[in-house]
Amino acid sequence: MAVCIAVIAKENYPLYIRSVPTENELKFHYTVHTSLDVVEEKISAVGKALVDQRELYLGLLYPTEDYKVYGYVTNSKVKFVIVVDSSNTSLRDNEIRSMFRKLHNSFTDVMCNPFYNPGDPIQSKAFDSMVSAMMVQAC
Amino acid sequence: MSIPDYMQCAEDHQTVLVVVQPVGIVPEDQFFRIYKRIASVNQVSIRDSQRLLYIRYRHHYPPENNEWGDFQTHRKVVGLIAVTTCGSAKEWPQTSERFHGQKEVFGSTLYDSRLFVFELQGEIAEQARTDVAFYPSYDNCEDVEKRVEDFVESIFIVLESKRLDRATDKSGDKIPLLCVPFEKKDFVGLDTDSRHYKKRCQGRMRKHVGDLCLQAGMLQDALVHYHMAVELLRSVNDFLWLGAALEGLCSASVIYHYPGGTGGKSGGRKPSISQAADAGKRHRPGAQEVLIDPGALTTNGISADTSSEIGRAKNCLSPEDIIEKYKEAISYYGKYKNAGVIELEACVKAVRVLAIQKRAMEASEFLQNAVYINLGQLSEEEKIQRYSILSELYDLIGFHRKSAFFKRVAAMQCVAPTIPEPGWRACYKLLLETLPGYSLSLDPKDFCKGTHRGWAAVQMRLLHELVYASRRMGNPGLSVRHLSFLLQTMLDFLSDQEKKEVTQSLENYTSKCPGGMEVLMMPDGLKLPPVPFTKLPIVRSVKLLNLPVILRPHKVKGLLGQNMSTKSPFIYSPIIMHNRGEERGKKIEFQWVQGDVCEVQLMVYNPMPFELRVENMGLLTSGVEFESLPAALSLPAESGLYPVTLVGVPRTAGNITVNGYHTSVFGVNSDCLLESLPGVKTGGCTVEVVPALPRLQLSTSLPRSANALQPPSGEELSSSVSVQLFNGETQQLVITLENIGTELLETLEVTSRTVNTKEKLFGEFLSWNLDEALSHFPLKPGQVVTLTVNIKVKLDFSGQENLLQDLNDDGISVTGLPISSPLRQVLKPRAESKPVSAESSKTEYNHVKTLEAILNFRYSGGAGHVEGYYRELSLGVHLDVEPSVLFTRVSTLPATSTRQCHLLLDVFNSTEHELTVSAKNNQDLVLHASECQRMAIQVDKFDFDSLPQPDEEKVRFTNPKLLEEERQQAQGYEINSKLGICWQIISFPRILLCPPG
Repeated sequence: MAVCIAVIAKENYPLYIRSVPTENELKFHYTVHTSLDVVEEKISAVGKALVDQRELYLGLLYPTEDYKVYGYVTNSKVKFVIVVDSSNTSLRDNEIRSMFRKLHNSFTDVMCNPFYNPGDPIQSKAFDSMVSAMMVQAC
Repeated sequence: MSIPDYMQCAEDHQTVLVVVQPVGIVPEDQFFRIYKRIASVNQVSIRDSQRLLYIRYRHHYPPENNEWGDFQTHRKVVGLIAVTTCGSAKEWPQTSERFHGQKEVFGSTLYDSRLFVFELQGEIAEQARTDVAFYPSYDNCEDVEKRVEDFVESIFIVLESKRLDRATDKSGDKIPLLCVPFEKKDFVGLDTDSRHYKKRCQGRMRKHVGDLCLQAGMLQDALVHYHMAVELLRSVNDFLWLGAALEGLCSASVIYHYPGGTGGKSGGRKPSISQAADAGKRHRPGAQEVLIDPGALTTNGISADTSSEIGRAKNCLSPEDIIEKYKEAISYYGKYKNAGVIELEACVKAVRVLAIQKRAMEASEFLQNAVYINLGQLSEEEKIQRYSILSELYDLIGFHRKSAFFKRVAAMQCVAPTIPEPGWRACYKLLLETLPGYSLSLDPKDFCKGTHRGWAAVQMRLLHELVYASRRMGNPGLSVRHLSFLLQTMLDFLSDQEKKEVTQSLENYTSKCPGGMEVLMMPDGLKLPPVPFTKLPIVRSVKLLNLPVILRPHKVKGLLGQNMSTKSPFIYSPIIMHNRGEERGKKIEFQWVQGDVCEVQLMVYNPMPFELRVENMGLLTSGVEFESLPAALSLPAESGLYPVTLVGVPRTAGNITVNGYHTSVFGVNSDCLLESLPGVKTGGCTVEVVPALPRLQLSTSLPRSANALQPPSGEELSSSVSVQLFNGETQQLVITLENIGTELLETLEVTSRTVNTKEKLFGEFLSWNLDEALSHFPLKPGQVVTLTVNIKVKLDFSGQENLLQDLNDDGISVTGLPISSPLRQVLKPRAESKPVSAESSKTEYNHVKTLEAILNFRYSGGAGHVEGYYRELSLGVHLDVEPSVLFTRVSTLPATSTRQCHLLLDVFNSTEHELTVSAKNNQDLVLHASECQRMAIQVDKFDFDSLPQPDEEKVRFTNPKLLEEERQQAQGYEINSKLGICWQIISFPRILLCPPG
């Protein structure tokens, strides 16, 4: 389903990034990196409006020729980015939302680990397998 | 039309296009000088009409773009200024010919033209042409600007007449159909009388008039015409032109709303002071005209009444509507493949407007759209231009990452494999511009504090590309600098394999061009700060080491203010001056000495997965002249903390501060300053260097002591000797002092001190005469002086009397006669002590007593002496004293002479050697080991009272016990000198001793 899932720290460096065609990982690095522009723009827009601050899901950040990039930002400004294949038209907004929710829950578990240092790259196996499950699904 | 002008912005719609071109041979720099001067006349206020005319100058304009002039009049070249060099009148006809040829290119659209002729010598027959101006040289042409202004005014007249002409077309006249180049063939055979066709003609003409009004500075009229054009064209579904009309509407509204312009720096508007005032007024002149001459609008045949449109402000689009209309216009353009350039330019213009409105999200949508507009086959150069402009626009809306991404794509395009001559220089320049987008700066200082910022994976990629590009540019210095930066800042993110690769290539580069600490200056003003390798190796602590004990300087005590802080007049204050911030600057207790090797200890470790060779590692200091003696080290892979000692010699006196260290790793020289190193522990880095002092080396005639003395109070000894003596033996210790320093040795003091002994010592243990040595002073460097020290031991072994017990043949036993106090034995036999020791074991028999003493040599000289410093050498003397001859019993017999008596001594040899005992006037007595014999000595009687009495003064103040002891000692000496008893071990000819009493 997803081709790339990334978790980005508040300071905009990656905590976790994984993509399915691993041979072209750098491309996804660029895709996710540039999507941060949109994320920042959206966050600042939300800040201005002061409405709907509970909404963490940022929706479609931008479409590219091959992919759609979705964003989600936690209250602590940790960003999740999911890249899906554009050809996968069956995917609904709701499904993306639920993916983000799952991701967020799993991330919370990671943060609850007393041995995890906030700001370090995520190396949790549980998180990894959850991400793998999301990527494999319906692929 | 295939070449988009990415620099266009909405307000360009109100400009008229003038092309400035060289004709014939014109030096490029001269041409551009003139061009610049011409281009400075970019807005001209028209006399009598209060209107402003804006001019856009181009020195290059593709004629096929000119063909779209009817579609949007600002694309039409209306003026031509030709610049030429004409040396003589002879050449003039030819030049004139060329000028006319040039005019032909844009002939159909030109309103007017000018020819500027430079460097003409002599006269030209043909005179008085208004369109030609002659100047003697490129430097001498003051009125160029004035000429251009006149020229612009003449253009305005044509423009205004065209506007009025078109606007007042009578309805009865047939309105020509304006069309764009690719439409021409579509209209062949179309019914020109149909209502539909007529409306189309009207709509297009309306739009055209709108354009002319806008150019002529009549904003409100333009808005009205555009509105009407939109209505007309919408009704006939003429989408391309509808798009143009909408865009015209947008442009006019943008001009109204944003008088400051949307194009930014290159927008072309002069930021004149009158701008703000103009802004409000700009629409008014036109509006006035409408009011004055309403017929101009109402009487034209195209539409009915424009008076209904009098509510001027309504005509202008709101900022939100501008964007909506742009969207609409772009969607219409999008229907036509051939209008790609128009669509792209519209996108760019809309983005600029949105950037001003700070609506980044929507702007990014426009840009996203622009990315996908297909302009057919683009040349590489066009691609680069397109990516660059996309990058610029993304930057404009604050999407710095996206901007960086496109700039990088543009950079890569410069060196695409399809390009025969890759532009590495351009690529490198573009790559540098992407740095901020990736939160990278090339200053390593930005990285040393706090955590790493930014996205390491993409940053690393960029750095690799910079390295590669700079190498291909043929600038290995840059490659080295970038690679060093990569290694220094990205070390935590490099895998082991990458670390190896990076260092390997770094070594390759540095073999050609070693890296240094200088700031690299790029031709375009960019500075590349040096990259010190503070992580290769990582330094954890820096500690200045004291000099070795023998070399430490001491200050002569007693000088005023020695131990007192000069900061405070108080001896003690509970308020401690806290200088937390100056931890590094804090001074250290000890001192270094000028000219002596000083040491600093660093704890380092190697973070690399392979052995790290650090060469030329030395100290960086300030304050005094310091000669650093660099070291080379090799740290094993991922070593733990590893101590490294860096040494150097201060060459002058004063305060020295250790600022850092320098290394050479992988061929890169780095100066690492401590203040920029995080997490380095230091115990202060400033130390005082005292002036030079001489250095003495001490050697002795005796073997060095294996077991070092343990001096009290943590003192350290420079060396120590040990010697074994029999009680009463005297040994000479020859001490050789060599001045191994560079200073004159001027003073020397010797003192001694006995330590660690409870033994009662009789007489001087160590004695010497310094005068002989001092007579050689001052001692030059390299010279030697010797000092003889006599070691004399006289100890009381009387504690071993018990062993002698069975040797006593009568009841009157005496203690083993202590050498120096024979009196006690003579006068007071101590019978009471006998029984106690009966059970003592044999082992105590050979009981060895030890004596320890320290000889202190305090010396000074040179500049340090003047300052009151001295050095100290201390020599420990360890002495094992074995018992030798004991007197077990003493008695006297009267002699033949009344003035004499016989002293009978029972002498016991407690050594394991055969020895002889002799006394004054007596024969030697041979004693075998552990043998006791009686010897008789005839001596003069003497009277103790004849000994000098201690003076009254002393008696009063000293303890009576002490006094008694002193007296006894004096008496002992007296007896000793009378008897002169000596003994000698036969087998050791060297030992010849005097003692027992």
